[in-house]
Amino acid sequence: MAKLKDVKWNHYINYIVVAGLTLLFAVLSLTGFLESSDKYLLEKVAIAITLAVSLSMVVGFLGELSLGHAGFMCIGAYLGGKAAVILEPMLGEWPALIISLAVGGIVAAVFGVIIGLPALRLRGDYLAIVTLAFGEIVRSIFMNSSKESFGGSLGLDTPRFNKDILFIIAFVLVLACLAVTQNLIRSKHGRAITAIRDNEIAARATGIDVTKYKLIVFAISSFFAGIAGVLYSYSNFTVQSTKFSYNYSIEILVMVVLGGMGNINGAIIAAALITFLDVELQTILTGNLAVLQDLIYALILIVIVIYNNAPALRPFREKYNLKAFIEKFRPHVPSKHRDDEAKWDRVPTKIKMDEILSVDLQVSSPYTPDKPEKEEK
Amino acid sequence: MEFIETLINGLSIGSTYAMIALGYTMVYGIAKMLNFAHGDVIMVGGYMIFVGLTVTGNPILSFIAAVISCIVLGITIEKVAYRPLRGASPLAVLITAIGVSYLLQSSAQMIFGSAPKMVNIADLGNISFAGLSIPVYIIVTLVCSVIIMTSLSLFVKYTRTGRAMIAVSEDKGAAQLMGINVNRIIMITFAIGSGLAAFAGLFMLMKSPSLSNTLGAMPGIKAFTAAVIGGVGSIPGAMLGGILMGVVEAISLKIPLIAPYTDAIEFLILIIILLVRPTGILGKKRREKV
Amino acid sequence: MKTITRKILAVALALVMVMSFAACSGGANYTEENTEYIIGVSGPLTGAAAVYGVAVQNSAQMAVDEINANGGLNGVTFKFIATDDTNDATKVTANYASMYEGGMQVSLGCVTTAPGLEFKQLSVEDNIFFLTPSASGDKIPEFENGYQMCFADGNQGKVAADYVNSLGLSEIGIFYKSDDAYSNGIFEQFKENLDPSIATVETVFTGEASDFSSQISSLKDCSFIFMPIYYQPASIFMTQAKGIIADDAVYYGCDGFDGLAGQFEDFSVIPQEVSMLSHFDSNATEGMAAEYIAKYTEKFGTDTLNQFGASAYDCVYAIYYAMEEAIAEGETIDVTISASDLCDILKAQFNSGFSYSGVTGENITWDENGYVAKIAVKYTLKEAN
Repeated sequence: MAKLKDVKWNHYINYIVVAGLTLLFAVLSLTGFLESSDKYLLEKVAIAITLAVSLSMVVGFLGELSLGHAGFMCIGAYLGGKAAVILEPMLGEWPALIISLAVGGIVAAVFGVIIGLPALRLRGDYLAIVTLAFGEIVRSIFMNSSKESFGGSLGLDTPRFNKDILFIIAFVLVLACLAVTQNLIRSKHGRAITAIRDNEIAARATGIDVTKYKLIVFAISSFFAGIAGVLYSYSNFTVQSTKFSYNYSIEILVMVVLGGMGNINGAIIAAALITFLDVELQTILTGNLAVLQDLIYALILIVIVIYNNAPALRPFREKYNLKAFIEKFRPHVPSKHRDDEAKWDRVPTKIKMDEILSVDLQVSSPYTPDKPEKEEK
Repeated sequence: MEFIETLINGLSIGSTYAMIALGYTMVYGIAKMLNFAHGDVIMVGGYMIFVGLTVTGNPILSFIAAVISCIVLGITIEKVAYRPLRGASPLAVLITAIGVSYLLQSSAQMIFGSAPKMVNIADLGNISFAGLSIPVYIIVTLVCSVIIMTSLSLFVKYTRTGRAMIAVSEDKGAAQLMGINVNRIIMITFAIGSGLAAFAGLFMLMKSPSLSNTLGAMPGIKAFTAAVIGGVGSIPGAMLGGILMGVVEAISLKIPLIAPYTDAIEFLILIIILLVRPTGILGKKRREKV
Repeated sequence: MKTITRKILAVALALVMVMSFAACSGGANYTEENTEYIIGVSGPLTGAAAVYGVAVQNSAQMAVDEINANGGLNGVTFKFIATDDTNDATKVTANYASMYEGGMQVSLGCVTTAPGLEFKQLSVEDNIFFLTPSASGDKIPEFENGYQMCFADGNQGKVAADYVNSLGLSEIGIFYKSDDAYSNGIFEQFKENLDPSIATVETVFTGEASDFSSQISSLKDCSFIFMPIYYQPASIFMTQAKGIIADDAVYYGCDGFDGLAGQFEDFSVIPQEVSMLSHFDSNATEGMAAEYIAKYTEKFGTDTLNQFGASAYDCVYAIYYAMEEAIAEGETIDVTISASDLCDILKAQFNSGFSYSGVTGENITWDENGYVAKIAVKYTLKEAN
């Protein structure tokens, strides 16, 4: 039996935080501290996290740009919603929920594999536009469906789950999504996937089955997008296809990029913050101020992205960040471990070389995401 | 007869896409970035024409004003939002482009209000030809697209700046070592792309006089699709892709059963073409190196 | 390297969220602290449909200001909140919750149909009265707390079909927006009630398409074209159809056509006859409609003048008069009344023959389903040249 101190807490910190928060909110909800608006917000946050984490698998770890995530979600929302409509009178609330989650997820995963197939042939922005096209096609099909099947332009009326419970279910599914994603990433398969991202040809040469892994990632990612879609259908009274346009895919992508590519915790935080910001802006800026929503959102987006990514701001970033701020107040404990951490990458000359090199490197390859951060030993 | 009519309608739709796609493909081909804000630069161009018409009443003057302000806008966007990110992950640039797109749209709504504006530039009328009535703007748009396409191709092929652009698109680092000012070249690219956006704005308004802050959004995506179909970075490819998209759209709209699915069909064609030719119809194949 | 940053951020985020929740606790509607009656609406204030939401916002605010200037309801003034849903049903939940918890007592529902379908479900749970100015879907007033000021789509389609049947045409053209609930709703009922002997040429568009040359060439032989769409695409269609569709053709639309004339500097550039079946004409020269138009134009210009606004103006007044009548009949309404109590009072009023005369019609009444009963007038916006 593994000793408690041997457990790599770093690996589990996000489960603990998410699970703890879920528990906290559940208790707050039971004791009547949460308003309906808070519960709605939490549902949205959980759905956004599921979407961001699942997309981050494709974008951050497999290194393929997908602009069709909303399309998979759309499939999940409509099929899961339809399953819920049919099953709820027959089986009751809970069995219907479980079956429709499975239906939405699995069908979305099948489509994930189907759209993953061109991914084998296409690279970079070409794949991005194909996924975007896929999303729009899905949307158009549901939009023009007959009234009896999926409701057409009026949308599909779906049962809404009890709002006191739904957000807890949603967070439990976030945990499930995290568990699957992180375990995959940290396994030997995960290393194979990141190897494909870093250099596909080299990965192939070392005997990695690129086809298999690409399809696996697309399937899992779209499975959870489908799950998020089913949750979406349960958290709304109607599912309307207009929601799932490419703009929504981009919104999810923004969460992934702001969180830091290949950084699951970052994606979670970014998804929660952006959803929170979105809803707050929407409900605070009413009336004539409504027009400011997008303006503020856009400005925040541009400033954050430039601050986080601009090569020229790198020394500034390293000087003024949250970590440095906290370090200041931390008692300095001289330990061997810390001394070992010779910070080569902080030597000024090295940075300059780095930048020159990175400019050249990134131009010649069509698309290279950031390297994942190294685990702290 | 009916077929020729559909073809002409296709040209009408396609010529706009081609015009926008030319701007897209310039920026994408050389700066290697998906400029999601391109559609919104078109919208700004449209509003500048509207302002010019209201102030001066002269279509030509207001169009010139629109071109100049679009170029200035393009350069500003490049300097403020894209240049700081040169060398960073391309996705970061994509996100700022989206940010710029939101910014332009909401600024336009703040300044000009939410109601669409009617802009009547000039009623060119129709000409009758062999029993067909063809709106003149189609011919004007097509001719202009061809002229722009040809001059762009020539510019890129035969001028120093043009060849520097090709060099930058091939390899920024090597181009810099050869003494090319990469920043300047990319700035010029953006200036040209944005100037073309003003043209696109003009032709869109000539066709449908209603001007709103979402004018460029969907046409922008469609035109980008067209550029990809034609082969991103290829100037004749953008033209070809645009026309092809337009014709497909016109044919699909003609058949009642599939008319509501028109957008889906256009995107489906994109997928099929990319599956057959992964770099578009006229796109160059690049060999991948380890 | 950055994990510590993330951890700290996560904890900070959690704290912020917990604090924001802890700040508000307890019940739900919070009308006890109201000092004014609060009316809320959710509509597209930004995005492609913004012009409709802004018209409603402006007009409702104007009506509220007028009522307040005249002393409000027994000295208590009204407050109007407009939240933005960009015509996206997903955003309604947050808008609704924030308004409801902010003390909203009565609502104008949603401006457009798609978000309205979400709104009606949320509002029935809390039993909050809404009278929507323009969400015209047939299912909007499905529950007993929902009422419409505009004609329901199905009804419009039926009336339009009856009118077309009476014209004795052999073939008509139809041009509608296949991904729009309003357009589809009218089209379906129109088609159902249309005399089967009348042949139809159906053309559609989706999204924010702005090139209709293909549809126009399909419709070029039609002498009567039914267009259940909003005025913005209609104006583009008419401009592009000049010289292709016969000059003596007739364009016939529903209330969405209102505002069309304002799109053109000179409407006579369109050679064809344009008429519509509506409850409001923004070129009206007499009656309350003309008064409303004068007031609105003075304040907000003609840009956003359309039937959405007129209808919203009426909604506010209808609610005001209904409350006034209820008080006169002995009900007690004070400023801290809960939304649910007010809803019961208003429902009783609206179901028991309350009638209202305003900008969009005279002696307007509502049936128990929430559908409006008023006269639809055929307005000829423009004669053929």
